[in-house]
Amino acid sequence: MTRERIQIFFLIAAAGGALGLPLVITSPTYLHILILLFFYAYLTTSWNLVGGFAGVLPLGHSTFVGIGAYTSTILSLQYGISPWIGMIIGGVLAAIAGVVIGMPTFKMRGAYFALATIAFAEGFRVMVENIDYLGPFFLNGPRGLQIPPLNVGLANFMFTGKSPYYYIILVMLAAVLILTYAISRSKLGYQLVAGGEEPEAAAALGINVARAKLIAMAMSSFLTALAGTFYARFTLFIHPKSAMSLDLSFEIAFIALIGGRGSIAGPVLGALLLRPVGDFSRIYFGDKLPGLHLIIFGVVLILVMIYQPRGLQEPLTRAYHRLLDRLSGKIEK
Amino acid sequence: MPFLEVKEIDVYYGDMQVIFGLSLNVEEGEVVSIIGGNGAGKSTLLRTISGLMSSKRGEILFEGAPISRSEPADIVERGIIQVPEGRRLFTLMSIKDNLAVGAYSRRAEADAEKTLKEVYALMPRLQERENQVAITLSGGEQQMVAIGRGIMAKPKLLMLDEPSLGLAPILIKDIFETVRKIADQGTTVLLVEQDVMHSLRLSDRGYVLEHGRIVMEGPAKQLLEDPHVKTAYLGL
Repeated sequence: MTRERIQIFFLIAAAGGALGLPLVITSPTYLHILILLFFYAYLTTSWNLVGGFAGVLPLGHSTFVGIGAYTSTILSLQYGISPWIGMIIGGVLAAIAGVVIGMPTFKMRGAYFALATIAFAEGFRVMVENIDYLGPFFLNGPRGLQIPPLNVGLANFMFTGKSPYYYIILVMLAAVLILTYAISRSKLGYQLVAGGEEPEAAAALGINVARAKLIAMAMSSFLTALAGTFYARFTLFIHPKSAMSLDLSFEIAFIALIGGRGSIAGPVLGALLLRPVGDFSRIYFGDKLPGLHLIIFGVVLILVMIYQPRGLQEPLTRAYHRLLDRLSGKIEK
Repeated sequence: MPFLEVKEIDVYYGDMQVIFGLSLNVEEGEVVSIIGGNGAGKSTLLRTISGLMSSKRGEILFEGAPISRSEPADIVERGIIQVPEGRRLFTLMSIKDNLAVGAYSRRAEADAEKTLKEVYALMPRLQERENQVAITLSGGEQQMVAIGRGIMAKPKLLMLDEPSLGLAPILIKDIFETVRKIADQGTTVLLVEQDVMHSLRLSDRGYVLEHGRIVMEGPAKQLLEDPHVKTAYLGL
């Protein structure tokens, strides 16, 4: 058996496993944890288009989750527009916001860029918290918006059990992974990596670095906003502190840094490691030591940065390739 | 009409002026050296020509068209390619990918495969190691990749910023021989160097840049014999 065949076999096994999980895991708590795990893997993969490939550190992606969540929710509550359509509209609005935020901030480097994106995100959150009506749109300030559980079904993006949400976020994650893989091998992907590492050399070769980054930002914010709608339909309640808080932005960055920025597998590995750590420390220590999961995040981040500065994906990818070598060697004999 | 014409440019970093009313010409097919010590403004001059910086006053014409207000990408499309000082490779990409990125401009993209063969013919070592990640290469090999990446962009005018920087003498010879071959194939070369001996021997003409001003110009042979150049740059 060749390496490719083994890889396809692994891929099918992983897909089968992921598809079958809700049949095995019947506890809604565990399914909920898994859904949020995939949700964060999806968010971080979307973030990775800018934060990984383009080599900058955006810390304001919660803005786009918020734009997505609020757009589809307002459109469905006030105008009866299907959340699926609202999802796309939210994505487009977020892409526009991403470009508007990116135009002035991509000129900044390092920490200045990160700080500027935080400023945008916080400004945006505070605005939403203090506005009840934005023109005809009802935002309800800090109290947020509740989605009444009516018209359950796929058309209304609303289900009674958790497993439909599981499958939706699984499909979204698979799609964004395939998209990222394609981009990493495209001209845009190379332009981003080149411009991220050596902007001057890239420019001297005729690469429009700013344009490449803006395209990546538009795609990244569009995809991030789709997850916002998912979040709104999953929790049926959104408010500025949940849908656009800095914590959300930071957690995405944590997952990316620990898993490995700029790689395809990194965000998924990071979410696989960090989400359960966070959830279980919340479940078991939440009453005694609230906030412990953030300390654990910090410690893990420090350890990874010291011993694996390119993230956990590096040693794991190496081990995976060794495994492939061994398997293909053995079976060929 | 000169191929490249720089007319009395002033260039600033913020409030600090680093280039003062500088003019120079490069004719098609020439190899021209700009020599000078650290901080003379050599790199600034190249970065201004390639559009990475802009001049406050003065004008730059390439094939008769003004380019001083153009974006770097547009200047690359006209055929001016700068190989930056200190190689500036994309360290995590393979040699092959580094070279491929060189051909991303519209003028170079269609011929990328053909140009790659030419680069490999010029520097066979790069082909042997095409899948190696750039960060693992020696300094000389990295400089070869940087030059190869520049050639991938199909330059009419290739500007090299201190290709000999930090290399052992034997490698410097290799690099200059490669530049000679590139020039012999018809590419115009503008070379910025501190290695005055090697670069003037390779060049048709030279300019001496001191404190942001051209203090001397002439045929390369003549500059090599000049007493000022001899004492200031050749240590003779």
